Amino acid sequence: MTKRLLLLVLVGALALPLAGCQTGRGSHRPDPNTLYVGAVQSSFPSAYMPWLSREGIAPTIANMLYSSLFSYDEETDRYLPSIGREWYYVDENGEPILTEDGSIDYARLEEIYSDPQYDYLAVKVIIHQDITWSDGVPLTVEDIYYSFDLATNHALSNHAGALAWTSDLKHKYNNGVLVEKGLFTYERGALEQGYHIDPAEKDYVIYLHVNKVLGAVTPLFTSVLILPKHVWEPVVSRENQLNSSSPSAELLYRYTHPVGCGPWVLDTEQSGSQQIVLHRRQDYHLKKPDGSPLYGVDTIKFILYKEQNVALYALLKGHIDVLDSSVSSNYLLLFAKEKDLFVSNAPGTFTQTLVFNLNPVASERNPLRDLLANREFRKALALAVNQDELIKNVLDGAGVPASAGLMRPSLTDFYNPEADSIVPRDYAQRLALANEILDGIVPDKDKDGYRLLGGERISFKILGTPGEQDVVSFLQIQFKKIGIDVQYAPKGAQPESTYLYTSKFDLVLQGVIFSLSNVDIMYPAHFSTLGRTSNYGRLVNEGLNAAIEEMRYTLNLNRKYELLKEIQPMIAQEFYKVPLYTANVISVARTDRFTGFQVVEGSTVFNSESLQNLRRVEGR
Amino acid sequence: MKLSYVIKRVLYSLFVFAVVITLNFFIPRIGVEDPAERYYPPQGNMSEIEYEIVKQLTREQYGFHVSTWQQFLNYLKGLAQGDLGTSFRPGSPKVLDLIKERLPWTLVLSVSTMLIGLIVGVLFGVVAAVKRGRWQDTLLLNASTVMVALPSFFIALVLSFYLGFEWEIFPAYTDSTMVSEFAWTWEGISRVARNAALPVMSMMVGSIISYAQGTRNAVIAVTNEDFVLTARAKGLKRSTIRYKHILRNSLLPIVTSLGMSISGLIGGQVVIEQVFNWNGMGTLFLEANQTNDYPLMMGIMLLLSGFTILSILLTDLVYVLLDPRVTVGDKR
Repeated sequence: MTKRLLLLVLVGALALPLAGCQTGRGSHRPDPNTLYVGAVQSSFPSAYMPWLSREGIAPTIANMLYSSLFSYDEETDRYLPSIGREWYYVDENGEPILTEDGSIDYARLEEIYSDPQYDYLAVKVIIHQDITWSDGVPLTVEDIYYSFDLATNHALSNHAGALAWTSDLKHKYNNGVLVEKGLFTYERGALEQGYHIDPAEKDYVIYLHVNKVLGAVTPLFTSVLILPKHVWEPVVSRENQLNSSSPSAELLYRYTHPVGCGPWVLDTEQSGSQQIVLHRRQDYHLKKPDGSPLYGVDTIKFILYKEQNVALYALLKGHIDVLDSSVSSNYLLLFAKEKDLFVSNAPGTFTQTLVFNLNPVASERNPLRDLLANREFRKALALAVNQDELIKNVLDGAGVPASAGLMRPSLTDFYNPEADSIVPRDYAQRLALANEILDGIVPDKDKDGYRLLGGERISFKILGTPGEQDVVSFLQIQFKKIGIDVQYAPKGAQPESTYLYTSKFDLVLQGVIFSLSNVDIMYPAHFSTLGRTSNYGRLVNEGLNAAIEEMRYTLNLNRKYELLKEIQPMIAQEFYKVPLYTANVISVARTDRFTGFQVVEGSTVFNSESLQNLRRVEGR
Repeated sequence: MKLSYVIKRVLYSLFVFAVVITLNFFIPRIGVEDPAERYYPPQGNMSEIEYEIVKQLTREQYGFHVSTWQQFLNYLKGLAQGDLGTSFRPGSPKVLDLIKERLPWTLVLSVSTMLIGLIVGVLFGVVAAVKRGRWQDTLLLNASTVMVALPSFFIALVLSFYLGFEWEIFPAYTDSTMVSEFAWTWEGISRVARNAALPVMSMMVGSIISYAQGTRNAVIAVTNEDFVLTARAKGLKRSTIRYKHILRNSLLPIVTSLGMSISGLIGGQVVIEQVFNWNGMGTLFLEANQTNDYPLMMGIMLLLSGFTILSILLTDLVYVLLDPRVTVGDKR
């Protein structure tokens, strides 16, 4: 009886899983014109209000559904057309300040706007005339005006990020009342401001007043995704603010059914919490030079994976075409054995640094941290860092040394090699120099290293994520060579609020990206401002601050470049953010259905250039 | 069952739940000068005045602009109306809606696992106890030793790679349209069963062994009791003694295990859900943690605590049904 009952229960228990047996082994990528993209995330977003899309894949999707005025090309320091067709700085009559060859005449710009009567720079933007929103309504400068106006009016938008993006726009609200006007169209005061707009172009020309900073246009051009006025204006009000914590049903509907002007449109029927489906817009205004569609793929299907190993296996087994996620260099060996794979080992843009807490708030001071306030002590620690060894051991060689001035050497026009000649290159020489410095600062030393006068061992904690433990392990070895002890400590889920901004750390690993497009914001944030910024160690250097300020406010482009170069050795001499390496971005795609994947600096193989170059493999 | 006992237990549970609600609200605020601080964006190049405006906006956005007590009152009012708050996710969805969306999928896995684990585990446990010292018992003991050492993500990955990717017997991970296209049809249910197969298998191995071991130990203890000897002396059938007398009297520890596993039913299995792309409560909590979605975390914690308190209450009441000698604060 027992045996029969046991057998019955066993059969019953197995019935459930067996019911799940696959009935067939069909293709995992059934649609030949669909690009299957894996994304390793904890979840997919259910709302696509572009300004609110900050987590995971949401910004990628928002940038595919919506557009900004321009995109920025770091290599050429130029803004590429998107919604905007062209732009220029203009004089008081709205005439472009251009040289004969059509580029910006910075000399005249400086001449005109050095006059203190102007507290702004005037910018003219002309947009494409054939843009429509995904619901078919034409896009005009009224949409641009509406978007910028909304971003600055916190009585309606209540969105801190948007306010930050537009902080250099001279268009200000105070409690819902416009107190300074900095946007002008044909319908909205352009003529009164002295800017002539041909009535035939009234829907396509807008003037902006921005702070007298050359980089002021960057976030306005590239960060603010333009919203359709006809969709949002009827529902956004003081009572029903954009980003409201209790949005109305109408507002929610607009979040979940986005109307954009980007090259892709969301398939709301097929998209859900585990997949997102985008279709190419046939009427997208940007085309290839031969007039064919900009993108060679009809549909993109993003599949959610919560675990990276599963996602990689799904790629290897042909469930997806490409993985929109960088992978560790450990996997390079695995990929080498596979056919039909394209491995992108792209140069990185992200520099890993070691940041010293050199100026903690009074309550967080202690004798060990006081040592970090000593620039020479920091220099000794910086001398012990051997970037080549870190790249070899931590990245398996998939990376390059980073500059002490923190500007990537690949940006040849802006990189200053002087920043890297401050300390000797020879590692043995560096170690000797480091110990010479330490002997002068900390006289108490035994066979295990340096001690404070009270006998306390000099030991610092380095905050990092669990994935960064190996970096700390190798730093431990390198610092041990000069008699300094370091240990790993976890950063925690919200390092900025729990440790960094509150000065509760000794050293921390921090990734930084500096380029011409962001220095006006990033240099003050990393080296000058003492509030809630990336200046975690609260560096105070008046000379550096003055140079950054001058760089930010100069209208002379050549002078700006000179200052950028002058600032780099100043940063290096502080030994505040010590560079460790710039890691390559390794990513992978299958080539059995689509070819043409492109390697793009700082990007995975799923990038805009790849999408523009992809073509179907014949017969697959 | 004594009514006074039931009333005492219910009142005690309500008191504990009230404490939980209070702690759930105040613990994240302990020692925090400005609870909104963590939500402020970086200052960047904003002036102090601009940044103050941004901070004020952030406080208003997340409801931190009123006093802590007012926030607590608002929180209690919301709870009384069944409102667990609003998530910080884009679109500001209600916490309760997010939980409602995920909970059924977690229950699919946890209830299946619990039922299979309970039935198979108890039977294995009885067999192992009866065959004490023989291969069935040795198998169970060795299996439990191995299972303690094997992390569940390892089992999940092995099952996913071999039964899913390599041999393609089951889906290696959840079909991305399973949730969005679900319908109460045979095809829809069978699709869910297909996708749930590997996650359930990954979880049920441990569950079976846990129940089997508990049952085995309880049955062995009861087997030596006098009333079993009496039953044998009366000449009752072996199966009657085994299942009617021994198993019934071994139920208390099993009920305890069951009570504890009921409280875990809605919590979800983070690792299993991660490996198999299963959109359940475990990953919802993980997402809330990763994005510091305060209201969502509080909502889930409150639900889990409430469910745990409820399951402990039910376990206590069932105890009395099974063994009338059990009382509260027994005064002899």
